[in-house]
Amino acid sequence: MITFNKVSKVYQRDWVALQDITFHIDKGEFVFICGATGAGKTTLLKMAYKDEEPTHGTIKVLDQNVRELKKKEIPKFRRKIGVVFQDFKLLQDRTLEENVAFSLEVTGTPHREVRRKLMETLTYLRLSHKKYAFPYQLSGGEQQKVAIARALIRDPYILLADEPTGNLDARSSEEITNILEDINYKGTTVVMATHSISLVKKMKKRMLRIEDCRLVQDK
Amino acid sequence: MALRIGIREGMRTITRHGSLFFLSLLVAAISLFLLALFSLVTVNLYEAIRILDEKIEIIAFLDRRADVDALKGNIQKIKGVEQVHYISSEQALTDLRNELQDTEGILDVFEENPLPASFRIELEGSFRNARGLKDISSKIMLLEGIEETLYGGELVDQLKKITNGIVMFDFGLLAIIIFSVIFVIFQTIKLTIFARSTEIEIMKLVGASNGFIAIPFTFEGIVQGLLGGFIAFLLTVITYRVATFFFDNIYFPQWWFLLGTILGGMFFGIIGSSIAIRRFLK
Repeated sequence: MITFNKVSKVYQRDWVALQDITFHIDKGEFVFICGATGAGKTTLLKMAYKDEEPTHGTIKVLDQNVRELKKKEIPKFRRKIGVVFQDFKLLQDRTLEENVAFSLEVTGTPHREVRRKLMETLTYLRLSHKKYAFPYQLSGGEQQKVAIARALIRDPYILLADEPTGNLDARSSEEITNILEDINYKGTTVVMATHSISLVKKMKKRMLRIEDCRLVQDK
Repeated sequence: MALRIGIREGMRTITRHGSLFFLSLLVAAISLFLLALFSLVTVNLYEAIRILDEKIEIIAFLDRRADVDALKGNIQKIKGVEQVHYISSEQALTDLRNELQDTEGILDVFEENPLPASFRIELEGSFRNARGLKDISSKIMLLEGIEETLYGGELVDQLKKITNGIVMFDFGLLAIIIFSVIFVIFQTIKLTIFARSTEIEIMKLVGASNGFIAIPFTFEGIVQGLLGGFIAFLLTVITYRVATFFFDNIYFPQWWFLLGTILGGMFFGIIGSSIAIRRFLK
């Protein structure tokens, strides 16, 4: 599902973000990308959904060589991948419902289909009762659930979560992690970047640890 | 479908970011108004030059025995002559009386009409200069029955030099104003797009195509251009009305100005938004 083969990322002035990263993630796996802040976790995820280009090496996602994707093909490619961020990235001037529906609407999904998927997703994440609330009226945990709903509504094959619990308290973190686990249980491949070793230990999932720009552990 | 949603998104940002939209609309309207105002000055300058140019002509006075029809025919044959108007001595006297108005009484000292008959000779455009006037005038002087000719001579060339200078200056200024207007509108659109970079980022993230992302912004650009152009036109009309208190005969082709400001506004809006959005879509 996701394959990194000797991938390196070097920014300007020889600043190395990632070096010689090789791993493979199978369909249906739940994998943690672990490492300190600035270790290169975000860069790694960004390269997987082609927001960044690797300097060396090849990346294959969903059987496609990411580097070979043409500019025109990127939107279609991204529709198969859901992404969730630490800072939620919600549109502050839209309600919860609008934020989630936005994800389908911008890809030209018919209105009736949008309504159906919206109801299904909001019910699953237990957000229906707050669908008219604006992001600033929601707690951090709820906002992250909205971000997950926005990713999930498109039935992605892969869900990439970049420190999704980074801004949350312990209880909300646990709730979000449980949701991600459940999503994975239903068949979606989940890759979650985190700096919290304790969380990884508790979850007993595969972990890729990055240290000093290199992959130092895969277990 | 995509167009409908795109337009709806555009409408939504207009209504929800009202102050931002209003600000850029104001900038567009004022910029277009300045452009329209300057165009109005330019149009009038050209009109004045055109009228002035048409007034460059030769007056030929006839002696009393001249054969008017034969002379008129001969003058018309000269290269560069466009039209010849005959003004009889009676007509000349009537014209003079009209010009003198209240003081026409001074003409009573003459027992008979002292004014000679004349031809007013209009020239083709390329001959309306000192050399053309001199050449044609000397040819007319050779004809029998012509007593004297009158024309501007060197003065005409000097006048042309001045008007050419003014036109060049005007063009330069117009180019600078157009450039500034494009720059200001573009910068304003860029600011409004920058304020919504999160929205663009999310759209890209969830797989919206670049074309789709551009629709709301282009729509906004068009609406802004249309409204801005219309406001600019109204401001120009008001300025024109005020100016008519101070100046006579201002030339103001209203429909062209309406069309120009609206189309100009739309053009700047579309170009500005597509350039600005392109930077974010890289």
